Amino acid sequence: MPEVDDYHVPPGCCDELLDAGGEPREHAASLLATLQRLGPDALVAAGERREDIFMQQGITFEVTASDGARRDRPFPLDLVPRVMPAGEWTTIKRGLAQRIRALNAFVDDVYHAHEIVRAGIVPWSLIVSRPSFARPVHGVRAPGGVYCHVSGCDLVRDGDGSWRVLEDNVRTPSGISYVIENRVAMTRLMPELFAGHRVRPIDHYPSLLLDALRVVAPAGGEDPNVVVWTPGPLNPAYFEHTFLARQMGVELVEATDLVVRDAICFMRTTAGLQRVHAIYRRLDDDFIDPLEFRPDSLLGVPGLVRAYREGTVAIANAIGTGVADDKAIYHYVPEMIRFYLGEEPILGNVPTYLLTNERTRREVLKRLDELVVKPTSESGGKGVFIGPHASAAEREHQAQLIEADPARFIAQELVHLSTAPTEVGEGKLAPRHVDLRPFAVFGDEIRIVPGGLTRVALREGSLIVNSSQGGGSKDTWVLAEDGADELASGTYRPRRPPRLPDVRYGGWSGQEQQQQQ
Amino acid sequence: MLARIAQELFWLGRDLTRAEHTARMLDGAFHADVAGALADRGVTLSWEGVVAIIGAKPPAPGEKRRAPTDVPPPFDRHEVAALLTIDMATPASIASCIDRARERARTLRDVISTEMWEALNSFFLSLGRYDLQAALITGPYSAYQEVKERCALFWGLVERTMLHDESRSFLEAGGRIEAADMVLRMLRVAVPADLSAAAEGAQPGHEGEAIALLHAVGGVQAYQRAVRYAPALPAVVRFLLYDDGYPGSVAFSLQALRAALHTADAQPRSSPPVLRLGRLIADLELQRRTHEGFDQTLERVQHELELVDHDIDERYFAIAALAAVHL
Amino acid sequence: MPTAEMNFAIRYLTRYLYDADVVDNLNALRVKPNANGRQRCDEFNVRLDPEARLHRHTDYFGTEVVEFEISRPHRELTIDVRARVSTKEPSPPSETGWEALLKPSYREAGGEFLLQTDDAPGHPALEDLLATTRAASSPLAALMLVSELIPDRFQYRKGATYVDSPISHLLDGEGGVCQDFVHLGLCLLRHHGIAARYVSGYLFAANRDGSEESVEVDTHAWLQALLPTLDGSEPVWVGADPTNSGLARENHVKIGHGRHYADVPPIKGVYRGRAGAELHSGVTMTRLERPDPASLARS
Repeated sequence: MPEVDDYHVPPGCCDELLDAGGEPREHAASLLATLQRLGPDALVAAGERREDIFMQQGITFEVTASDGARRDRPFPLDLVPRVMPAGEWTTIKRGLAQRIRALNAFVDDVYHAHEIVRAGIVPWSLIVSRPSFARPVHGVRAPGGVYCHVSGCDLVRDGDGSWRVLEDNVRTPSGISYVIENRVAMTRLMPELFAGHRVRPIDHYPSLLLDALRVVAPAGGEDPNVVVWTPGPLNPAYFEHTFLARQMGVELVEATDLVVRDAICFMRTTAGLQRVHAIYRRLDDDFIDPLEFRPDSLLGVPGLVRAYREGTVAIANAIGTGVADDKAIYHYVPEMIRFYLGEEPILGNVPTYLLTNERTRREVLKRLDELVVKPTSESGGKGVFIGPHASAAEREHQAQLIEADPARFIAQELVHLSTAPTEVGEGKLAPRHVDLRPFAVFGDEIRIVPGGLTRVALREGSLIVNSSQGGGSKDTWVLAEDGADELASGTYRPRRPPRLPDVRYGGWSGQEQQQQQ
Repeated sequence: MLARIAQELFWLGRDLTRAEHTARMLDGAFHADVAGALADRGVTLSWEGVVAIIGAKPPAPGEKRRAPTDVPPPFDRHEVAALLTIDMATPASIASCIDRARERARTLRDVISTEMWEALNSFFLSLGRYDLQAALITGPYSAYQEVKERCALFWGLVERTMLHDESRSFLEAGGRIEAADMVLRMLRVAVPADLSAAAEGAQPGHEGEAIALLHAVGGVQAYQRAVRYAPALPAVVRFLLYDDGYPGSVAFSLQALRAALHTADAQPRSSPPVLRLGRLIADLELQRRTHEGFDQTLERVQHELELVDHDIDERYFAIAALAAVHL
Repeated sequence: MPTAEMNFAIRYLTRYLYDADVVDNLNALRVKPNANGRQRCDEFNVRLDPEARLHRHTDYFGTEVVEFEISRPHRELTIDVRARVSTKEPSPPSETGWEALLKPSYREAGGEFLLQTDDAPGHPALEDLLATTRAASSPLAALMLVSELIPDRFQYRKGATYVDSPISHLLDGEGGVCQDFVHLGLCLLRHHGIAARYVSGYLFAANRDGSEESVEVDTHAWLQALLPTLDGSEPVWVGADPTNSGLARENHVKIGHGRHYADVPPIKGVYRGRAGAELHSGVTMTRLERPDPASLARS
């Protein structure tokens, strides 16, 4: 295979599409054969068309350049998809659902009986020192008992081929709009790749989300009014907010559109105040209500927490859910699964060390050149220290930071992220590290969109996949099981127009209807 | 629909219409000036007049108030033209109106069609590229022509591509109320106080004014087909006020405004702006027959229209004020 | 023999005057004297003008919150709070050594109150205070020292600081009010590993001979430190007043506590309108000679 001739997977890592001998894996054989047939020029040409399409459609995200300037870039999509066989997805699906159920139970427990604290598993002082522990909602039960309506847990495949959860995200995980737009773009840019595959569709996410919100909404018989609440056009993820609102067919509101009267939340319409039953909010707890959280927040709705407390409005994700995706709490999730569900975790954690324990801290400092250190309160890959990639000076600096404030950090074993063939210029393919962020929706049940966002570190050897740090993405294909009655998607077939009445020139057959995708 | 979105649509309609009328008025003033009409024929639709009409308007939401006339008299046509065409610091200038319109359209991307957005976007970009400064000195005709054409394009796209729903009604309403307002202001400035409404024939000293007025709304041909006499001031004023066949007349604008609100309102029969408009239209019809002095009519109609504007604000957009915190 | 008891009638009157109409005026009050081992609230009511319905709930820290909203346009808001409360002298605190603070059970009990909410690392005035208080013989002694040193070193002065001033403002030496003194005290205690919490309440600040029946004050702030007990039972919260020096007594009427001021502000609110507001507020505390006849009959 010419373009993957000098394809060198870093030692200790798996590749998603090629096996240890450099041969295509069974589920990737057809794809790689097609790529070879199309040749590198096809990839290059498609890449140029991709830039145009994304910029035109405004599928961008904001990135802060090294000079501090903020710019809109087209969301970087690598044209070689990541492929996963059906059986593998089933394991991931079950493991995630289990994990989300446990996290949900944890949030409920933290704000009510503290059973897991009483059982001596998680120290109360740890929970109460998390910045996202929301005292205003202590004792408040979310409608339907669901707190983690939308979750985006980040998964990685370790060197031994096993799946591990790298990080839980149950606050305002983003990226689903790129998943959907990537698939649309792929069908337009590289339709030939889809031939011979039955790839499970992913565009039903908005209706999953809408259903979940409608189910938990305390509407009491009325037709539930669901809204998407955005901080506004200056937010880097604004594209996704408008996308979801449009796809779900609901209003996109900003803070000034909402008002709380008598502990009920309304939106201002031209016909007066209309009640809102469920809010999918894309801003952090800290900003949602100046009466209970940050008093200087102009992005908030005064009285919203009061309405939530009275149970007249559902908020997704629930207020205070951030206590579950704190990196220090992550360490306890396998125990949570055992405690709340009585099951063994299907997906493992990456071994994590809390640095507040003196002995642990000393061990970690000895092995700083082998480990990863992350600040507990940052997101987006900021401030992550990777031992094997760091210079002696950087290690020294990190050690000082840890000594100064150990509670601010956790340490993890380095995961040998799997790689996948990625176009690196002129149609050439090379291995780049990837992770996976599936998106789950919890309404009456937990439903997970097949695949999710595969993020790829575009720089050679880099393990940081976040888009804000220069990462890219790939379309993620979960193949349908044989015999499953899932719809095929992305199959390219030429369309035939219907017969025009009164046109007698012949040649039009007119009866065949084309298959809807 | 969300009150905030309706308000943006309403003001998008107003901003565009304001730009268009301003362009026409300035074009008319240039025409009269060049034709030597201003000095000899006592045309009050002069530069001072235009500034008075536009400068006295209250600011739109998002507009910062600036002192109405920073240009001291006597008004130099270049200065006024520049002020009202390209000066971004003057909220009422054409450039400011289009800038605001485009910003509003950005918020409204999901509500207006792609073509409407692209028309506005390229309108805005073209103003930047167009050397208006130079054009204003040599002959601004093409600049104002460009403005008129692009506004016409936009409304044409509205007609062709926008769904007949609440959003469209608010957009339309904004355009109509602004049109009525601009024509009323223009008439109040241009019409001498002593002009008798009953006079039919041409009066000496006023011919220039009559033509300037018609130019300012683009109604020369329409008037000639409707009235068939040489333009005489009282007849022109009556035409611009009452003729419900001519789309630029006050009566036409008010009726279209009422129709738009009637569609948009959930309960038009008990809607204060719709009801008030109904009374105003009936009143106007009465005036048409009674030959009351123009002065009183114009003042009363404009005052009522201001109340309608306030009613619209109250009924559909609610009070969007800032929140403050006290401890 | 019954312990000394004091009875008070408290009236906390607040008026906001707006210079234009305002709407959607939402407020949360933390003004009710709470019920605890040495304090009993016999009567409590809130009257509003304009009138509005009151909603009550108890917050995370156990403070009773009264909330209301006034949607229609108005130019003034009057909040009239009246209460009757009965307090007892606190029992004398026990004194243990510093090592008692190191026990895991103490740290669990202290929880979030061990964490700093505001600090000024390296500030010379703070470093000096830390050194002096660290030398105290016991946590109780440190608490007493904190409550004596602060009013001694810093000037009580209104207007030098704001409601959200950090402790560095006070440390810079221009003076401050009780809220700032308490925040500084909390910082010092927590540095020494003593759990401490901010207390909001009313202080019957009578003059020495106790001749006054009635005083006009503002709401007051002091602190409580968690001190271990000698017999190993649950640690106890002991009140101390870094504005007036010494331990809290029966003329300190507690409303509630939190980690810092922002957890327990007497009035917190938001309104809509392009208007500024003028605030007039004051507390009148009247000492009642005897407990209410009604409650006498009960005992």
